[in-house]
Amino acid sequence: MSERLRNSVCVPAEHLSRRTLLKGTLGTAAGGVVMNWGGLTDTAAYAETAKKQQKHCILLWMNGGASQFETFDMKVGRPTGGLFRPINTNLPGVEVCELMPKIAQQMDKLAVIRSMRTSEVDHPGGIYLMHTGYRPSANVRFPEVGSIVAKYQGREGSDLPNFIKVSSQGDAGAGFLGPKYHPFAIGSEGGLPPFSTSGMKPEDETRRHELRSFVEDRYLKDRNSETARMHRESYEAARRLQSARQAFDISGEWEKNRELYGDSEFGRRCLLARKLVESGVAFIEVGQSSYDSHADNFGWHKGLVPPMEHAWAGLLVDLQQRGLLDKTLVIWAGEIGRTPKINNRAGRDHYVRCWSTALAGCGIKGGIVYGSSDQDGVEVKDNPVTEGDFFATIYQALSIDPKQENLAGVRPVPLAPFGSKVVSDLLT
Amino acid sequence: MAEMIVDKPKLLWQLQFEGAWPMAVAFLDSGRRLVAGNQDGRLLMWDLPEQPPAIEPPKGKADRLAPSAPPSRMLTGHTNGVTRLVAAPGGKWIVSASLDRTVRLWDINAEPVGDAEVIVDIETRQEEAKRSRKDDSLKQPGIAVKTLASAHIFTGHQDWIEALGINDDGQRVISGDNSSNVYVWDLAARKEVTHWKGRRWNWIVATALSPDGQTALVSEYRYKRDDFDIPSSGLKLWNVADSTEKLDLMKVQFPKYMPDDTSYGAAQVWRKFVANGLVAADISPDGKLLALGQGGETDKGQVHLLDASTGALVRSISGHQYGVTDIRFSQDGKFMLSTGRDTSLRITQVEDGKEVAQLGSPRGGQFKDWLSSLAISPDQKMVAATDIAGFVHVWSLVGSEM
Repeated sequence: MSERLRNSVCVPAEHLSRRTLLKGTLGTAAGGVVMNWGGLTDTAAYAETAKKQQKHCILLWMNGGASQFETFDMKVGRPTGGLFRPINTNLPGVEVCELMPKIAQQMDKLAVIRSMRTSEVDHPGGIYLMHTGYRPSANVRFPEVGSIVAKYQGREGSDLPNFIKVSSQGDAGAGFLGPKYHPFAIGSEGGLPPFSTSGMKPEDETRRHELRSFVEDRYLKDRNSETARMHRESYEAARRLQSARQAFDISGEWEKNRELYGDSEFGRRCLLARKLVESGVAFIEVGQSSYDSHADNFGWHKGLVPPMEHAWAGLLVDLQQRGLLDKTLVIWAGEIGRTPKINNRAGRDHYVRCWSTALAGCGIKGGIVYGSSDQDGVEVKDNPVTEGDFFATIYQALSIDPKQENLAGVRPVPLAPFGSKVVSDLLT
Repeated sequence: MAEMIVDKPKLLWQLQFEGAWPMAVAFLDSGRRLVAGNQDGRLLMWDLPEQPPAIEPPKGKADRLAPSAPPSRMLTGHTNGVTRLVAAPGGKWIVSASLDRTVRLWDINAEPVGDAEVIVDIETRQEEAKRSRKDDSLKQPGIAVKTLASAHIFTGHQDWIEALGINDDGQRVISGDNSSNVYVWDLAARKEVTHWKGRRWNWIVATALSPDGQTALVSEYRYKRDDFDIPSSGLKLWNVADSTEKLDLMKVQFPKYMPDDTSYGAAQVWRKFVANGLVAADISPDGKLLALGQGGETDKGQVHLLDASTGALVRSISGHQYGVTDIRFSQDGKFMLSTGRDTSLRITQVEDGKEVAQLGSPRGGQFKDWLSSLAISPDQKMVAATDIAGFVHVWSLVGSEM
């Protein structure tokens, strides 16, 4: 297959077939399931336009669900308050938990949302929800935010994947966007997976590649096989990755950045994320594990939060010093919050009626605390933010229209769920 | 040295201390005078009558099995949770450690500095208000008490203090914080004797002084920084005189112990022994045995008995379901008492590890309420334990005499 022909093959999500068009038209006639037809027809062109902006996004994923009470929404003196005490920040009148002294000095860069109200209270559903903006569905495989950003802000033909996960969670993947936008996952210490490395000599590797290409070309000569095309693309991507492997190596930079990011694995991952942003990667997700503190909530958070917040603050400073913060959105979120009530295990359980997330960087107005909770942190007092609103705001901050649609089979699906609102107060 | 006799222990008192969890308790000069502290930083003292009144009918809480008594003093000063209490011999001095990063010395016989109203039954009142749909119970006055101020504040710690110990003559106190700092204090001179730092990142979660105050047992632990970033737990004996390491007990247990490696794999070397931290520690009155209790939420809260001279494991005792919260040797060294997250206080013979008594009974759902700390009276006839449900239980160990 020629290069021209290969490039003309669309993945299903981008392909508007005659049958699809017919079904879509019928659907519309029957009552209107297609709400934004324009979004469907111009999605590829829209993606190309968005990509020119070269924006990036880093998701700091607090797996298990960090407690809002032990981070951004303290209730000192209340029965729900817990053991930690607040500290002042560089925003007058705004306090955060004493576990976050470094972030306290970066609050002018952050938009903290204290009024998250989401709809999946357990981990699998919550992880899916807070990676896609949608609840799990048997009918539609929704793409993760990383895949969407990779599609709309990623670089075509880059040596590096456009969506990289560093020791993080979420198994929704690219969903209906197709494998092109699937995350490339690397381990806890930034090591590349075995399939992406080769122990062969370069000349042997080249010969093997030539042989594989020859066989693939022969196979594809008389066939139009999507699977074969994706197979070939995957190998090409892996080969290109070989030449860009140094982007994953932070050993040369770690010593001089150790203090800035804090001497922790999470700090190393955040430094790697910054390096990958510099290398042009559109979306990097960095995970930290173990926030599911049903027991010993205070000990768990005392263990986990300090290295996390140190690295997070270091990342913001580093991005800013390098002139990257304006075009890099940094998201801090997990799948759930934690209960106001402290149980008899000194723990907090799952809670989604009122919890906190934070945004910084690209498109975000810093120095904001948005929404609030009631005196015990049980309910949102004002300005509730749903998962849909959260993702709509993220896409808008990245100059991606949250109403832009892609096809899941024949169904047009907007990036953020129907009815989601962009929280414009958070945006520059 | 008083001998401990365990013969049909009997619950005498359930002192109400509702609100934040009671976490620490200490007897003063007798089994009738004790102090307990809670997670709000409140310290209350009780002077109990010689005989408890006949048991009141259950009221409010269904687990009420013995009478309460009003506190007589409130010790004011701490601004965050009290974590540990120790009393010096003689019943005059008590020392408290707190999450507010201070160690405070209290003269129980000092002149009161003020008056206060204390509500010790807030949860009972709230339940009553909810049941009756009237808030009359919430408007009832509290108990009038005199307040005491601390005689001295030992400063230096920069983080939560969760570990506290005292030597036999009450001259020296040791405290450890979550920034890995250990301080030894001279109570009479009210000054620091020495201090040192444990391993980077670790928290000092338990400590004890040898009877002569010359050797310190220090347990270090920290909840993980990530699944793949787990600082190594530490357990050492230290020479107090020059702040030097005397014996690395972890290295004795585990030749493959790699203290600088924070990987998941390195943590598996010591994980089974330490569980979620050896959070309770004591040294036997003859200085020959070390007792360490596995804390946190672990399947079986084991107590390890180690030979103090070699560090060798003498015996591991599995009594508590879930973690241990506190440990004390009896003054005669024959018994080891421990409290745990299974709402029980267990008394075990040191000689053979046989459990001779279990006080309290498991309460709660799948996970039980905790007895969070214990104290033994100077005459060895009474034991007390704080209960997160809002009680201080006091038992006579010789119920047969009652």
